[in-house]
Amino acid sequence: MRLKAPHADPGVPDTQSALRYLLWLVRKQPGRVCLGVLFGSTWMLVLVVPPYLIAHAVDDGLRARDMGRLGLWTGLIALTGMVNSVIGIMRHRTMTFVRLDAGFRTVEVVIRHAVRVGAELPRRVSTGEVVSIGAADLDRIMRTMTTTGPGVGAVVAYAAVAVLLVGISPLLALVVLLGVPALLLSLGPLLNRMRETETAYREQQGALAARAGDIVAGLRVLCGIGGKDRFAERYRRESGALRDEGYRVGAVSSWIEAVTVGMPSLFLAAVTWLAARMTAAGEITIGEMVAVYGYVAMLATPVYFLIEGAQDINRGLVAARRVVRVLTLRPTVADHAATPCPTRAAELHDPASGLTVRPGELLAVAAASPADALAVADRLGRYVDSDATWAGRPLATMPVDEVRRRILVADNDAYLFAGPLRHAVATETDHDDHEIHAAVHTAVAEDVVTGLPDGLASYIEAQGRDLSGGQRQRLRLTRALLADPEVLILVEPTSAVDAHTESVIATRLRETRRDRTTVLIATSPLLLDLADRVVFLVDGRVAATGTHGDLLATEPGYRALAYRGSEEELV
Amino acid sequence: MTQKHTWQLPVASRAAVRRANRELITTDPRGTVLVLLTTSLAAATGLAAPWLIGRIVNHVEADGADTSTVDMLAFAIVGAAIAHVVLTRFAHYLAHRFAERSLARLREEFVDRTLALPTSVVERAGTGDLMARTTGDIAVVGGALRDAAPEVFVGALQTLFILGAVFLLDPVLGLCAATGVGALWFTGRWYVRRARDGYLAEGSANSEMSETLAATADGARTVEAFGLQRRRVRAGDRSVAEAHRTRVYTLFLRCVLFPQVDFSYMLSTCVVLVAGGLLYTNGQATLGAVVSAALYSMQLVDPVNRVLMWVENLQRSSASLARLKGVAEAGTEVPPGGHPRDDRLEVTGVHYAYHASYRDVLHGVDLSVRPGERLAIVGPSGAGKSTLGRLLAGVDRPRAGTVSVGGVPVADLAPEELRRRIVLVTQEHHVFIGTVRDNLAIAAPAATDADLLGALAAVDAEWVHTLPAGLGTELGAGGLALDAAQAQQLALARVVLVDPHTVILDEATALLDPATARQAERAMGAVLAGRTVIAIAHRLHTAHYADRVAVMADGRITELGNHHQLVEAGGEYARLWRSWHGA
Repeated sequence: MRLKAPHADPGVPDTQSALRYLLWLVRKQPGRVCLGVLFGSTWMLVLVVPPYLIAHAVDDGLRARDMGRLGLWTGLIALTGMVNSVIGIMRHRTMTFVRLDAGFRTVEVVIRHAVRVGAELPRRVSTGEVVSIGAADLDRIMRTMTTTGPGVGAVVAYAAVAVLLVGISPLLALVVLLGVPALLLSLGPLLNRMRETETAYREQQGALAARAGDIVAGLRVLCGIGGKDRFAERYRRESGALRDEGYRVGAVSSWIEAVTVGMPSLFLAAVTWLAARMTAAGEITIGEMVAVYGYVAMLATPVYFLIEGAQDINRGLVAARRVVRVLTLRPTVADHAATPCPTRAAELHDPASGLTVRPGELLAVAAASPADALAVADRLGRYVDSDATWAGRPLATMPVDEVRRRILVADNDAYLFAGPLRHAVATETDHDDHEIHAAVHTAVAEDVVTGLPDGLASYIEAQGRDLSGGQRQRLRLTRALLADPEVLILVEPTSAVDAHTESVIATRLRETRRDRTTVLIATSPLLLDLADRVVFLVDGRVAATGTHGDLLATEPGYRALAYRGSEEELV
Repeated sequence: MTQKHTWQLPVASRAAVRRANRELITTDPRGTVLVLLTTSLAAATGLAAPWLIGRIVNHVEADGADTSTVDMLAFAIVGAAIAHVVLTRFAHYLAHRFAERSLARLREEFVDRTLALPTSVVERAGTGDLMARTTGDIAVVGGALRDAAPEVFVGALQTLFILGAVFLLDPVLGLCAATGVGALWFTGRWYVRRARDGYLAEGSANSEMSETLAATADGARTVEAFGLQRRRVRAGDRSVAEAHRTRVYTLFLRCVLFPQVDFSYMLSTCVVLVAGGLLYTNGQATLGAVVSAALYSMQLVDPVNRVLMWVENLQRSSASLARLKGVAEAGTEVPPGGHPRDDRLEVTGVHYAYHASYRDVLHGVDLSVRPGERLAIVGPSGAGKSTLGRLLAGVDRPRAGTVSVGGVPVADLAPEELRRRIVLVTQEHHVFIGTVRDNLAIAAPAATDADLLGALAAVDAEWVHTLPAGLGTELGAGGLALDAAQAQQLALARVVLVDPHTVILDEATALLDPATARQAERAMGAVLAGRTVIAIAHRLHTAHYADRVAVMADGRITELGNHHQLVEAGGEYARLWRSWHGA
């Protein structure tokens, strides 16, 4: 059964518990899972057939020197092999699709939920956790799906072998049917111990990788300041320690490998002994002895599936729990939509600081502490519930979507998504190249575009990792300008660019945002000088308001802020 | 500002990779022989059971009820199984040790080579590629050495032993058993040729998908602010589609391979049975030999499968090995050295391009900096300020013209000599994983704790006294995280310890917020006292107090003089200064 991915609609997951989530993933593909059970069971059952056929080939054909019957039985073996290799691949194919469907569906619902939760998500879930969902957890959730097909098949096959063995010898049947699971279960604790030693090794391995990464990241410092020998020596020492830890892991894991392979063969040897004695005593035929050997060797497959399956489910539940945790996050800002937004540009007011933003003005906010200014931006942008008002009505009860569309807070932590430059600066609506170039021009980011091999089509890494701080900042500004909101709140938009560029940006920004409301949170005199009004924030409250010139003349604290360090000689 | 680099670190050739593979064996001959020996013995003992069952068959067939011989043979099966367990254990253990040893050697060599890279190479190649090699490729090669190589080796050896055993039983039956495996050769080759690219594509589509997921969650506030919900969902769906496409391809490869592997060993068994039947009927083989041969053919599936599954992984790792070994080819030029007669910096007729085929970014720069002078360099992005700074610091050589200190080209100086004279401080303040002491001692290995504390005091880093373990406090990854200002102070304390005559500051405080920058600039004042200072300036107030200001535009110095001269000259500098001052 083919899989169409991505799903047009991944559906609404059951997030009541990790187990229910996994069951939901099964329920979403009932036909495929049933098919998986069918193929899985048939495949396992047919695995039992060859030893049976070989037994007959030996007894009826070989021993009887009857080439006709030997040919018949052998033909049946070949036929079984052919049929089962087809069933086997059908099982593999179906189960691959079952696993993929679960994995892809998980990615789809997590992404869809993440964009619904929005700003709250990074506050509640660490990057590491999300990365872990994408990397390890997904794989584990996918593996749990294997238990649906071959897992069921394993039980069926086990029962079939039981019936066949009872037919040959009840005693042998008892020994084998109790012995094999006991044997494999006994491996459980050993496997756990190996997992522990391996965890210690992995941690140390991670630390060594981090050390190597650290050396590379700081290579420029080591080149300029020195200390290469120290780092080479230290790496060598830690690498040696990891090697020795690896030896210790090898000491344990090699026993487990040997026992995993060897114990079944030891058991097989014991059963063969028993069977051989029975054969010698004439209780069972030679063919039947060969069959017993074949059955026991074959039984490892279903039992292995069962034990693996139990472990997969255990790990899958842990992984699903993390997914469910993300899926149950809710945005903190409640969307009441009780008050309509003003129909036209209107005054924004923040009672907590006493700040007022008039429609159409270019207002600069200079704060001694950056945190105070960010808090104002969060209140005006409705990222937290506050007493802020828009046109005199409470912002907190207005529809969030409309507020987001009309008031934009653009800060330097804004995420730059990987992709062609054209997409990296994309906003809700589509923009043609002409509009993009215009915004690039205002943000004085032309050099970023021309410096890249394919202009707007050039690939940008996530967070603009392959760009300089100043280039990233201007791309963020480009995007904010493209969004062209009614109220644009820019947080330190030029802190990483040089004075020349900053002054050009300031002039163009003023021109572009003419008649629109713009709030600049900044401390650079080049920007402050351009604003219609400047508000000076001290301890989170408005301490003074006026033009840049007024404040320079009347507020010593403001002067010190704008010309930071001017009184002190630097160079 | 960062420029786009297209210069890439070299990747080792196929021949070099083959040599590296050979070296793995030749540098550890004792380990190789031991692994080979134990693995062979383990494979041999694994063959005992079917053979002994054949003997039992013959015995029972010949004289029915003699249990004691059957007991002996069956006991031999148990004995062989025990020997198999023990030998398998030692084979695995020795292979594991061999892999760990080889991997440790490889990664240490890689780090040594990385540290030996000339500064200019590091600057030109950037750290991104190196970082990918360090984190990604070492892990891939490690996985191949620890898991894939032993699996392929053991699988191949077992296959040979099983076939060998059947040949010993009866050469005709041996040929029959080999037919199945032989038939697999073509499918196997078809599969392995496509598997490498297939699984590489699957891996990268996979990480693309998890990155898209992580980015969406990480940037969820931005998604909300800019209304990017639909775009992110689309990006997620696209990554799913790509992951799906690559998975379907590898599934297709397996759909061709698996049935053939499954069927081929069944085919071997059938051919052995029929041929064996003919031989037995004609009295040319015993019943036991035929039964053993049939059981052996059934055993072939596992090792053959293992080889086919892991060969692809082994192949993939050779690309990684090529990247690890390639670093060694990036050159380890040793600067000729020299002894400057004084600390006067001279720049004459300097032209510079990032690459031979690129256009120049500096067009004939001349500049002379006398000892003790404070020079500010200002200008728009892309004017060549940072490039000039890096040439002055000896990080790279000009394409034409000279940059010299005391008559010796700066880039000719040995690293120790160079850093006593000139140190470049940029906005990258790397804090190394390790203690505060480790972080400082790189600058002065012989320094005492008192020296280190003195250097920290000089840059106002009083916070060191509030740390839980003082100089012994662990920083970075898992330890204490320093804020940007503290990291900068640490970087400056290193400069104090190196004690160079000249310090070049390249927008050292550009990425700090205003309050932090103020603090860092105060700290810098102490460091710079009594040294030649070249400040590539970000804010104009830096220029105000410099002895001289150089204004750069389009790779040239367009204005040069002190602040007042330039303001009076009425050029670009004067215009900026006025707008900056709100005058």
